[in-house]
Amino acid sequence: MLDLIQNTIDGVMIGGAYALLALGFTLTFGVMRRLNLAFGAIVLCGLYAGAAAHQALGWGLLGSIAATLAVAVAAGLYVERLCFRALAESASIAAMVSSFAIWMQLEEIAALLMPRRTYAYPALSEARPWEWAGLSLRPDQLAMAAVALGAMAALGWTLRRTRFGLAARAVATAPLAARLAGIEPARIGSAMFLLACGLGGLAGALIAAVDSQVTIKFGMWAMLKGLVAMTLGGIGSIPGAVIGGLALGVIESNAQWYLGAEWRDIVAYGLLFAVLYWRRGRERPWTNS
Amino acid sequence: MDEFLIGVLSNIGLMSLLALSAWLLLVVGEISFGQQAFFALGAYAAGIATALYGWPLPLGLFAGVVVGALAGFAVAIPTMRLTGLAFAIATLAFAELMRLLLQLWVFQREVDGERLGPNAVEGFRGVRWVYDHDLSALGYLGVIWGIVVVVLAALFLCERSRIGLACRAVGADAELAEAQGLPAARLKILVATVAGGLAALGGGLYVHLATYVEPQHFSIMLGVHALAYGLIGGLGTALGPILGVVLDIGLLEALQEIARYRMIVFGGAVAVLLILRPRGLLDEALVRRLTRGKP
Repeated sequence: MLDLIQNTIDGVMIGGAYALLALGFTLTFGVMRRLNLAFGAIVLCGLYAGAAAHQALGWGLLGSIAATLAVAVAAGLYVERLCFRALAESASIAAMVSSFAIWMQLEEIAALLMPRRTYAYPALSEARPWEWAGLSLRPDQLAMAAVALGAMAALGWTLRRTRFGLAARAVATAPLAARLAGIEPARIGSAMFLLACGLGGLAGALIAAVDSQVTIKFGMWAMLKGLVAMTLGGIGSIPGAVIGGLALGVIESNAQWYLGAEWRDIVAYGLLFAVLYWRRGRERPWTNS
Repeated sequence: MDEFLIGVLSNIGLMSLLALSAWLLLVVGEISFGQQAFFALGAYAAGIATALYGWPLPLGLFAGVVVGALAGFAVAIPTMRLTGLAFAIATLAFAELMRLLLQLWVFQREVDGERLGPNAVEGFRGVRWVYDHDLSALGYLGVIWGIVVVVLAALFLCERSRIGLACRAVGADAELAEAQGLPAARLKILVATVAGGLAALGGGLYVHLATYVEPQHFSIMLGVHALAYGLIGGLGTALGPILGVVLDIGLLEALQEIARYRMIVFGGAVAVLLILRPRGLLDEALVRRLTRGKP
């Protein structure tokens, strides 16, 4: 029982970061109905910039996170202009394949500029784990979950309480009506795309700061985790992305503990397949948001 | 012919089969991120047949195709009712599941005093049928391209038949096709089965060329490349995915000096190409124009 509680705590912590990655996909998919396969590579570019700032300029945690966010948003702007804005609305498969090509391109640029296997990223916290009644809690993981939660709350507030959020929800649920009301779906889409890249950058920075390092494989890893978490909670649903992220974290950490590390991803993918089958993969763009 | 050229042409042939497999599903309007799983199944099944049980190569390849087609059919049944992104992610989940299970799978047998067979993450070594039977690299290249040509001919015949037309109709608008009495769901299952077999054929040929495979070769990277080839070359004809493979492997392998920057150049070129031609170089409109007036 104690194990189960401990695993669940660990799972919720990493699940917060998964939820941010899933939100990155959901936000773009909601307004644009398109999948950005370059998402992981965008996050990777940000992380490499953060690591470079740390190594070459000696920037600390906050500076590195700022560099990560800035470069992730800049890379996002590049992808949005080249792969999404320039393509007709009907060409959603072309946009996806185009973003895949740019994924390869960005990853190659990152690998050429910084060819080492791993790069140090400033650690979130060096404090020792807190022990209580047989349970342990890492302060850096708690900080990661707290920042993720804060980001999600800020996102929820933006979508519910601001004019931008209202316009975005209008575009997501009824693009034609939104256009009639004087909202430009393309502009809202771009803004959402960049916001999603910023959230992805934040999620990446949190995970890299907990691991205190980043590798070239992070891009693909982040993309797969985000996609799986988004789909688990229901494609396109904002609360679903949060629930999916937390669920993925909890399932993975329990599977790893009870079945072994090699079963961690097998259980996650098996469950994903089952959930898709069971829910018939219905897309619920931004319902209940 | 020099060895390098033979190697490049062999690779183009193998990848063409995988790209055709992804293209077939694109024709009926489905995106698959998971054709690499059937490629892997074909490689393992054909390799086991020839290396562990001494089957001749054609029979081994056939066994691979059967396994791939059965798997394609088995995956299509539950995923058929999914559409769009959900289908794509379900195929991705299946393929990753397959890859991770292959990483755990050990199935070894003593052959001539040597333990052979899939050995989890270590991979599957010693699939030496081609070398044991003194088939030259050029000869094997002929085998690969012979098969590719036969497959292409079969696909062209299908394209002109009622079934090909029905597939195009389903791809253009599945609901409309269904309203006109076409069995859209059954057609998609049929296509997914054939696509599984085709990918497995490519995998079977691949393992006999490389003599060695490991689960890591069959990551999502391979599957998305296969998907991209169809869209770069064009969705209008079965030559499209082959053109995509030739452009990627052929052109870029030829330009070895810029190999370091190949993905930077190629990635950007693909993005620009898709802006100009969102359904690829040989898209439906171009193919129609070129074949106008012919039966």
